[in-house]
Amino acid sequence: MLKTIVKRILQSIPTLLIVVTFTFILTRMIPGNPALTMLGPQAPKESVEQLEEELGLNKSKGEQYVIYLKQILKGDFGRSYSYNQSVVELIKERIPNTLVITLTSLLIALVLGMIVGIVSAVRQYSILDYIFMVLALIGVSMPIFWLGLMLVLVFSVNLGWLPAMGMGSMAKGVWDVVSHMILPCFCLSTIPMATFARITRSSMLEVVNNDAVKALRARGLREGVVIWKHALKNALPPIVTVLGLQLASAFTGAILTESIFSWPGMGTLIVSAIDNRDYALIQGVVLFTAIVFVVINLIVDIVYTVINPRVSYESGKGGN
Amino acid sequence: MKKKWIALVLAGAMVMTAFTGCGNKKSDDSATKDDSAATEESSGESTEIVNKEATIEVPEEVTKGGELKIALTSSPKNLDPVKYTGTYEAQIIYQVCDTVVTYDKELKEILPSLATDWIISDDGMEYTFTIRDDVYFQPGEYQDGRLMTAEDVAYNMNRSAKESAMNRLDMLDHAEAIDETHVKATLKAPSAVFLTALTNAGNAIVPKEEVEGWGEEFGNHLVGTGPYAMEKFELDQQTTLKKNEKYFIGEPNLDTVIFKVITDANQEVNALRTGDVDIATQLTGETVKIVAEDETVNLEKMAGIQIGYAYFNMVNGPTADAKVREALIKAVDYKELAAGVYQYGEGEAACLPLPRASWGYDESVEADVPSYDPDGAKKLLEEAGYGDGITLNMYITNETFRQKAATILQSYWQAIGVELKINTVEWGTFSETAASGKADVFAMAWSWYPDPYFFFDKMFATSAIGTLGNGQGYSNPEVDQLLSDALIETDQAKRAEMYKKALKIITDDNPGIFYGNPAECLGINPKVQDFNQRADGTIKLCTAEENVWVVQ
Repeated sequence: MLKTIVKRILQSIPTLLIVVTFTFILTRMIPGNPALTMLGPQAPKESVEQLEEELGLNKSKGEQYVIYLKQILKGDFGRSYSYNQSVVELIKERIPNTLVITLTSLLIALVLGMIVGIVSAVRQYSILDYIFMVLALIGVSMPIFWLGLMLVLVFSVNLGWLPAMGMGSMAKGVWDVVSHMILPCFCLSTIPMATFARITRSSMLEVVNNDAVKALRARGLREGVVIWKHALKNALPPIVTVLGLQLASAFTGAILTESIFSWPGMGTLIVSAIDNRDYALIQGVVLFTAIVFVVINLIVDIVYTVINPRVSYESGKGGN
Repeated sequence: MKKKWIALVLAGAMVMTAFTGCGNKKSDDSATKDDSAATEESSGESTEIVNKEATIEVPEEVTKGGELKIALTSSPKNLDPVKYTGTYEAQIIYQVCDTVVTYDKELKEILPSLATDWIISDDGMEYTFTIRDDVYFQPGEYQDGRLMTAEDVAYNMNRSAKESAMNRLDMLDHAEAIDETHVKATLKAPSAVFLTALTNAGNAIVPKEEVEGWGEEFGNHLVGTGPYAMEKFELDQQTTLKKNEKYFIGEPNLDTVIFKVITDANQEVNALRTGDVDIATQLTGETVKIVAEDETVNLEKMAGIQIGYAYFNMVNGPTADAKVREALIKAVDYKELAAGVYQYGEGEAACLPLPRASWGYDESVEADVPSYDPDGAKKLLEEAGYGDGITLNMYITNETFRQKAATILQSYWQAIGVELKINTVEWGTFSETAASGKADVFAMAWSWYPDPYFFFDKMFATSAIGTLGNGQGYSNPEVDQLLSDALIETDQAKRAEMYKKALKIITDDNPGIFYGNPAECLGINPKVQDFNQRADGTIKLCTAEENVWVVQ
C-alpha cells in the first residue's frame, strides 16, 4: 500500500508540472496588459511602464517562466499585486469560508441524494420514483444563477426571512451565521443532490436484483438489512468516485453562487484575479486546485480498495 | 410516509419558486405597458418610470449614533492613498482621511480643509498653505493620535509626487514645511490644476509613522485625520469604520459606517430593498427602474461629470479620412441614440466632448456638430471613395450601455453601407486594444473633475497618445498650444476662453460621437438624512457642509 502511495505521488509530479506550464502560457495568452488593467483609464503612460517594471513584466516570457518555476520549487507562490498580499495567505484566508458552504451543501446533497436514490431504486417505476427523478432532472438543469436570484427575491425581498447576501458573524450569534448560509447552501446543493440521487439509483438498481442479494433474501434476512447494509455497500464505488470529484471542486469554490451571495471564498477570489490580470494569483489558485484534485483522487483510490477489496493496486491486475 | 413528505416539500418549493419568478415578471411587464401607453407619444424608445417617493417621519432633533451601510460594486483593495487606483478605494479614503483642500458639494469651488488658506506666487510656481493647528491623527499602531503638522503635509505631498501609482501630483517639484503651520509647495511649471489635484483622495494626509511602520501592509491599515477611523478591513467583503470623536470639524453623527461589497447588480438592489444596505451606489439599467418604483427606497439622480462616446481612429483605417468621420456622424441621430442607451433615464443626450456641468462648456459649439442626414452621409462616403461600403471594427466592454450604443450605431451605419463588427471584450483586453490604437472605433465613458483639463489634456493632447484617453491618436498643434497655455494660466475666466476655443477646434475635427451625459444614480433608504449626492459619485459623510445621520 505504502509503495502504491509513493508511486502515485511521484506520478503526480509531471501532472503538476504540466498544469504549471499550461497556466503560465494561458495567463500570458489572455489579452490585456495587467498594469493597464490595474491602473485604469486615467493612468498616464509613465505609471503604466513603472508598474510593468515593478511586476517584472518587461522581462521576456521565457525569463518570467524560469523565475516562476524557481519560485514554485522553493514553495513560494508569489505575491498578489492586486490584493497586496501573499498568494498563500489569500488562499488560506479563503479556504475556510469556501469549505463552510461547500461541505455543508455537499453533506446535505449526499444524505438527501442517497436517500432519494435508494428509495427510487427500491420502488422502481412507482409514482415516488417518477417524482424524484423528474425533480432530479430539474435539479441538474436548473441554472444556479437564476435559482439564487429567485431564492433571494422570495425569501429575502418578499418574505424578509433570510438575509440577501454576505457572510454572518459569530459576534452576532449562531443564527446570524446559519441564516446567511441557508440560501447559498440550498442553491449550491441542488446540482450535486440531483447527481447523487441519480447515481445512487442506477447503481442500486444494478445491485438489488443480482444473485448475491437474492441469496441474502433467501436466507431470510430482513429487507431493510439487505438494502441498507449489503446492497448499499456493493453500490458504493460509483458514488464514492462522484463524491471525490465533488469534494475536489468543493475546495475550488462555487464561482456563481459565491458571486451572487457576495461570499468571500475561492470562487470570488479567482474571478477577481482574472478580472485584474493578477498573474501570480491566477497561477497560485490553479496550482492549488490541481494539487487538491491530485490528492483527493489518491484518497478516492485508497478508499476504493477498502470498500471493495477486489480493486487491488498491489498486484497490478485489479478488477476495475 | 416521511419520504412522501420530503417529496411534497421539495415539489412545493420548486413550484413556488417557478411561480414567483413568472409572477414577478408579468407584473413588471404589465406595469411597463400601462405606463408607456399613457405616455406613448413622448417616450419614444425609453421606458417611462414612475418614481415612487418613499417617506418616513423624520424627527426634528438629529439622532446621533447608529450604523450606515453602503454597498460598493467592487472590492476596495489597496487603501494607501498613493497606491489606490479605483473609485471604491476613494470612497473609503474620503471618510478616513482629509485632503489639504476640498471641493464643495457642487464641485464648483475649492474650499479650505486641512489648509485654512493659501497664497499663490505671481509666477504661479509657488503655493504657500497655512495648515490648521488643531487637527489630530486617529490613534494607530505606530502613533497614539498625535497632532498633524505642516511637516506631515509636506511629507505627503512629496510622497505622492514621487510614489503615486497614478502620478497624481506630477506637477510638484517639492514641498517643504516653513514652520509648524506653513507649507511651501514649489511646482515644476505653473499648473492651474494643482489645487484640483490636491482634492483627490490620492493626496490625502496620512502619518509617516504608520506608512513606514506598516510598509507594504499600510494599504490594509489606513490611518488619517478624517471623521471615521478604520476598524476592520475585510477584502472582498466589507470595511468597518468607527466614528472619530476628535474630528476637527465636529463630532460625526454616526457610530459605525460599513462599506459592503456586492458585485452583482441585482443583488445590490435586493440588499437595498431588504435593508441589508442603506445606500446602493452606481445603479445602472433596470435596477434604476426597480429602485424608482419601490415604495420603500428612493432613487437619487444627478447629471454626472461624465461623457459617453464612440471615438474614431484618427491615424489608421478608413476613419483617418475626415470625410468618413463626418459621414459616420451624419448617419446618427444623437437624441435617438441617447434615448436608446439610457432607456431608464440614467443619462441624457449630449454632443460635445465635455460634460455640460464643466465650466469650459460652450453651447454655441453644439451647432458645429454635423446634423443627422443619412443621404448626405452616403454622398460623403462616395466622395471619399468608399461608395461600395466599408467594414469597421468596434471595441467595447461587456457593459449594457456600451452594448446598446454599439448595436444602435451598427444599425444607423448599416443604412449608409458601413458594416460595423462589434467586438465585446473584457476590460483588460479593451484597454490594451484601445490604448494602442488598434480599434477603428471604441466606445467608453470618461469621467473626472469638472476642470476641462481632465478631459481635453487626457483625450486630445498629442502627449496623451498611447494612453487609453487618446488611444485613437488625435493630434492638432493648435489644440496642443491652447491646452498648454490654459494649464499655465491661473485666471479661470481666461482659461475658460481657451478651452472654449479648443472645444470648437476639436468638434470641427469630428473625432467621435459624444452622444451622452450619464447620470450618477444611487438608491437610498429614506431613513438616511443630510446626505448630499455629488456629481462625481463620491460619497462624503461628514464635512463642513453635511453630517449624515440615520433615523433610528
